[in-house]
Amino acid sequence: MHRIPVVSSNIAEIGYDEVSATLEVMFSDGRVYQYFDVPKGTYEQLMCASSVGQFFNTQIRGIYRFART
Amino acid sequence: MRDPTLLGVVEGTSGSSVRVVLDPETLSGLVYIQGQAHRIGQVGSFVRIPQGFSSLFGIVVQANSAAGIVEGEAGGGRNLVVEIVGEGRSNEKFSRGVYRYPTIGDEVHLVTEADLASVYGSETNPEHVEIGTLSSASSIPARIDINRLVARHCAVVGATGSGKSTTVAGILQKISDASRFPAARVVLLDLHGEYEDAFRNTGRVYKVNPDVSRGEIQLAIPYWALTFDELLPMTFGQLDDTARGRVADWISENKRRSAASGKFGAIDPSWITVDTPLPFSLHQLWYDLRWEIDATYPRGQDQLPANALMEDAGDASQLRPARFRAYDGQNAVQSRSTLSVRRPLEALASRLRDPRFSFLFRPEKWMPDLSGEVDKDLDALLAAWLGDGGEKSRPVSILDVSGIPTFVLTSLIGALLRLLFDSMFWGRKLSEGGRERPLLVVMEEAHLYLSSTDSSALQAVKRIVKEGRKYGVGAMIVSQRPTEIDPTILSQCGTFVAMRMGNSQDRNHVSGATTESLKGLLDLLPTLRTGEAILVGEAVQLPTRAMIQKPPPDRQPNSSDPRVVAIEFSEGESGPGGWDRKLESSDYADLLKAWRRQEPESSRVKRGEK
Repeated sequence: MHRIPVVSSNIAEIGYDEVSATLEVMFSDGRVYQYFDVPKGTYEQLMCASSVGQFFNTQIRGIYRFART
Repeated sequence: MRDPTLLGVVEGTSGSSVRVVLDPETLSGLVYIQGQAHRIGQVGSFVRIPQGFSSLFGIVVQANSAAGIVEGEAGGGRNLVVEIVGEGRSNEKFSRGVYRYPTIGDEVHLVTEADLASVYGSETNPEHVEIGTLSSASSIPARIDINRLVARHCAVVGATGSGKSTTVAGILQKISDASRFPAARVVLLDLHGEYEDAFRNTGRVYKVNPDVSRGEIQLAIPYWALTFDELLPMTFGQLDDTARGRVADWISENKRRSAASGKFGAIDPSWITVDTPLPFSLHQLWYDLRWEIDATYPRGQDQLPANALMEDAGDASQLRPARFRAYDGQNAVQSRSTLSVRRPLEALASRLRDPRFSFLFRPEKWMPDLSGEVDKDLDALLAAWLGDGGEKSRPVSILDVSGIPTFVLTSLIGALLRLLFDSMFWGRKLSEGGRERPLLVVMEEAHLYLSSTDSSALQAVKRIVKEGRKYGVGAMIVSQRPTEIDPTILSQCGTFVAMRMGNSQDRNHVSGATTESLKGLLDLLPTLRTGEAILVGEAVQLPTRAMIQKPPPDRQPNSSDPRVVAIEFSEGESGPGGWDRKLESSDYADLLKAWRRQEPESSRVKRGEK
């Protein structure tokens, strides 16, 4: 999955796979997580949020299932 | 003017320990010398005792103040106990051990950074590897002598969460740095699958259930490379003496036949024993023994195989035994074989069928066919584990044994270590051997298989620590429970990297095993910070308290504590998990899939080009 670097103290890169609706997040410590069934709209909002980290914390964390890769 | 580095004078010596009375004018706390802050009388800090052209160096192990003595009188009774560790002459390298001992009245000085730099060597010595910085002077790198670290074995001990695995990863990354040591050779036994991330670029992971998309490789340990004693408990279990002899004969016979094919070079058949690493088929062994005890023969005829009343030949590779005409007491009589191996044969068949053992009994390209022919010989296995200079060769091989059934784990680790040692031993004159390209074997969680019982792993490690130096096999023993490790093993470790450790028994075990009488220094162990270590032994000039440099965040082993609170208050950002999140809807079916597949990866994870 192609990931795009983002500006955040906690998140380094974000990628998205439209076909499977999988959001991939690389944290700044290098760990990569995949979030499942994330709508494309949410991903787009995440990418243009004023604080990526806060958007992730409130809109993705605790809402979508995830797995470390 | 009074020398600002003066601390006090020697009041008495006994053995290597020296009692120093502090000068009344010596201040406690911080002093500034040449712009650098130095702490006076810190336990673990160094002092210098000038002796004409040379200086003795010592380490402070105790600081006392005699009670009841009036302030201002003889330094207020403040004194230090110093352990002498070595001698440094001007223009010469620092050396361990001392030429002469200090006498009463000798001046004792603070060690400045400039002195320390001369002790630790400011110029970069090719055999020194920087692994962190001194705790007492963070501008001075802590270096270890990698020659001694590897050849004389070492132990990394510390409580859970003291930063052990991060330290191990840090040290290994330094000593496998391709720009300095392109031919480094490290094999790491990883019991929990922690180290993969730490060696993403410099290592290869071999595991029982590999995820090929992550570049993991199937761990195969061909059963025929094990010795008879190693193999027996994993296959037949208990055998009586007759059966044991019979099985050993069968195996040696078949190994001899394999050798006769000439594919393995010219080997004198009389040198081939049951332990020679030559292929043979366990399936065929099972079939042949089953045949022998199952066979029936016509009454009155010699019990020769050709006369047996076989009705169906069965299939050895499918573990289907041959069938014979049922015994009826008249025409068909039972085999006169005295072997009582029916139960052990059942055990063997069930092991051969067990998919958990396929890494051992169906080891891919190393799986012999029924006649004992193999696709690949052990050299390919050694090349993969030990590196062969090819494109896929990496300095670090991680043997992830986390998927191996626990009841054979100890024996299997023993067999693995024995294999590695034997290969280095017999290759001792070759460029592949350990003398010319030493091998460092890192044993994580060593207490799990090196407890003081007589296991094969213990035997193998004892052999490595006792004889490894001669053949270029070094051991790095990593453990959180040194008490549970056989004392002979720890006492053979030349270097200790001791991290925070609260348990007094564990501490005593370590201080008992170190060569230097530095109990005072090791008493500091409970108060070390995470990632801080006391280095004592052969690989360091002086016993050193150092902060070990952490690997970069994306190259650390994943053994960090789980986060209960993952949110960071100041930022409003958070990690992925934690209790402080709304709970998404869970899917335990995915967990169960992982469990059944014996693979912690989610079935939903998407892989593709990065």
